[in-house]
Amino acid sequence: MTALLLPSNRDEAWRWSDVSALPEIAARQGLGTIPEALPWIDCALPGPRLLFVDGRFVAERSDPGVVAVGPAGVDPGGHALGRLAGREGWRLRLGRDHAPQGLVQIVHVASGGADHLAAEIVLDEDAQASVVETFVGDGWANRLSGIILFRGARLMLARRVLAAAGFVSLTDRATVGEGASLVATALAGGGADTRLDATIRLAGEGAYAEAGGALLARARQRHDANLVVAHDLPSGMSRQVWRSVASDRAACSVAARVEVARAAQKTDAAQSLKGLLLDRGATINAKPELEIFADDVKCAHGATVGELDRDALFYLRSRGVPEAEAKALLTRAFVADALARIGEEAVREAFEADAEDWFLNPSPLAREGGARREAVGG
Amino acid sequence: MSEVRNREAQEAVERASAYEWGFTSDIEQEFAPKGLSEDTIRYISARKSEPRWMLDWRLKAYRAWLEMEEVTWAKLAIPPIDFQNAYYFAEPKQKPELKSLDELDPEIRRTYEKLGIPIEEQKVLAGVAGARKVAVDAVFDSVSVATTFREELSKAGVIFLSISEAIREHPELVRKYLGSVVPQRDNFYACLNSAVFSDGTFVYIPEGVRCPMELSTYFRINAANTGQFERTLIVADKDSYVSYLEGCTAPMRDENQLHAAVVELVALDDAEIKYSTVQNWYPGDAEGKGGIYNFVTKRGACRGARSKISWTQVETGSAITWKYPSCILQGEGSVGEFYSVALTNNFQQADTGTKMIHIGRNSRSTIVSKGISAGRSNNTYRGLVRVLAGAENVRNFTQCDSLLLGDRCGAHTVPYIEVRNPSAQIEHEATTSKISDDQLFYAMSRGLSREDAVALIVNGFAREVLQQLPMEFAVEAQKLLGISLEGSVG
Repeated sequence: MTALLLPSNRDEAWRWSDVSALPEIAARQGLGTIPEALPWIDCALPGPRLLFVDGRFVAERSDPGVVAVGPAGVDPGGHALGRLAGREGWRLRLGRDHAPQGLVQIVHVASGGADHLAAEIVLDEDAQASVVETFVGDGWANRLSGIILFRGARLMLARRVLAAAGFVSLTDRATVGEGASLVATALAGGGADTRLDATIRLAGEGAYAEAGGALLARARQRHDANLVVAHDLPSGMSRQVWRSVASDRAACSVAARVEVARAAQKTDAAQSLKGLLLDRGATINAKPELEIFADDVKCAHGATVGELDRDALFYLRSRGVPEAEAKALLTRAFVADALARIGEEAVREAFEADAEDWFLNPSPLAREGGARREAVGG
Repeated sequence: MSEVRNREAQEAVERASAYEWGFTSDIEQEFAPKGLSEDTIRYISARKSEPRWMLDWRLKAYRAWLEMEEVTWAKLAIPPIDFQNAYYFAEPKQKPELKSLDELDPEIRRTYEKLGIPIEEQKVLAGVAGARKVAVDAVFDSVSVATTFREELSKAGVIFLSISEAIREHPELVRKYLGSVVPQRDNFYACLNSAVFSDGTFVYIPEGVRCPMELSTYFRINAANTGQFERTLIVADKDSYVSYLEGCTAPMRDENQLHAAVVELVALDDAEIKYSTVQNWYPGDAEGKGGIYNFVTKRGACRGARSKISWTQVETGSAITWKYPSCILQGEGSVGEFYSVALTNNFQQADTGTKMIHIGRNSRSTIVSKGISAGRSNNTYRGLVRVLAGAENVRNFTQCDSLLLGDRCGAHTVPYIEVRNPSAQIEHEATTSKISDDQLFYAMSRGLSREDAVALIVNGFAREVLQQLPMEFAVEAQKLLGISLEGSVG
């Protein structure tokens, strides 16, 4: 593999990032092993299922349905990791008023090395889809996704990173048309480090976008989300809800920006970034940024960082709930805000169960320290 | 030489009427040769009869500066600045040692009068009974020409001198604290200042002393093509208190002028420093021509337990403002405050905010920022709240509000929050709004003109900050907000 050109912390968009583990992972070879059990979500209506192992499509374990496997045309826009993704991947293109049956599920397995994939989701007018991507294994999964929603189209896109170790980087470039709606949710709940990038343009009047998620980090893990929601035209609405939990010596960072162009009057944009620190030495970084060029807008953001509410903890203890359980209960409630945005019940429940797992069963690899595998002091 | 330079400088001045305080006074000036080199620095140092250590300190900064790069991360479009095409030293030729302002060069007095400076001070100087005491250390261009109330202050043990005098008279204090809060290499502009600062103010409040009056310095950029590089150092020893007022207006200038000041505050145990600024330098005309470039590094160190530093600023002037008054909260239970109103109109650009670095246990900070954008201006709040791992029970509350007047301006908020201790409670809120038609209609139905109604609403928007200002300043600041918005409504 040729030398990786990676961004440094001096680059503002990578201020809180640590991509130092990537060259080492990129030099490794994946074993290509396919796990027996795969994290499919059970739904009443079975939908398309795609399995990628080390970025290679595994046809015998997949049922792609309307999803096509092959080249996807996505412009990475010069993004440092996105541009590595290449063209191979998958495409979901839906015609006017179309909706695939059930949930589109994609499982990405990494078996030690680095792999890159591109994806394209194009929904024509009033088309509708729900897509869930799940990342498992150990390695570096690098993804670039291009999303275009035409007038009135609706996309629910949920990602969960359950990989035991390594690194997962997602770069999304989305355009939301008139009256279209994009609800994107991410859960980082494994032992891998993550870098979640998204640029969402509200390019039609009355477009709607939600971008948020839950970042759960322990040991020396790092989660790093970097979002831009750009309002280009009037009457758009956007919501960004992020909940971060950092324990041990882990760090969660969220930089979320709302841009309102001159023409985007009557924009309604809100950001809520909350961080919960469970241990001394853990870090929460937040940068809720507003860039506003239109005067008749409603833009607000709130950010808080702190520990669990001592009064609530005391109350639960006084009711006989053991401390560990009480903490888990309150932490779950804290995280639930971000996952509650997922509309599909089965998906939301699956994500909530994954978050629950994270609290109850820290994976042994995570305990050893995410991508860097360093010893943990406390 | 100075005669020629002076004429040259005066010729460069374009007199225009839009800026109320756009006049220049004819005071003979002496200039250091144009441009920047080690020789310029030696010249400045020699002219000020500085000791060797001070010259060495400057030269060290200069050499570091040569290797530094201009700051580019701010949301500012900064035209390239030719640092060689500026004078780095100008001082009034007649340098009187005065006991009072009465003995001042009448030309300088008139300048002050036009500026409306002597609101209270004049009364005090004239011996008006009951007038509030304000000590003025006037910085006229780069050199202090008058220091009043020195006696009363020295009775209390307060040292209030120009920094040049302080270097000569209290070298041990200056050496101990100069550059200890803002290191030479802190940033490009602070480094430049360290090399070429011409004058400024030094204040030392001894242990247990509550400074008997508010201290005040008026900065004024006067000669054409003269960059201003003040250096302010305020040290509040244990259990002392001082309130310091800084106000500035600059005369009309057609070409852009560079201003790079450094302010360092040090508060020891139980000490409190209140630092208030009204900045009304020339913002350029309605076409965006001219105006001051204001690159200021202001930082306070709350070194002692329970120490407190409070910054209040009203920024209405300058074509470009780059300014982040900050607090390093080292002391246990120390308190940092930042109250800011930044108003931009026409083509002004402001990128301003604060940093609160929490190091000490139980330290607290409050940030209230009100940004008002009008015309085609851009107004950015940029702030950092950082809590280190050892800082237990830190509290921070931040409120940033933006008000947009018109649809051609921009209002931006760039807050950074970095927390490493779980016991911290950090809250940040921000809103963006415009003046609602209902509010305007109501105010106008009560007989106010549109402009007055807007000024009233804007003052209400900024009230939380304005009420932090000492009274005379608050009145001046309210007027300024109204004046600065002229022409932006309708």
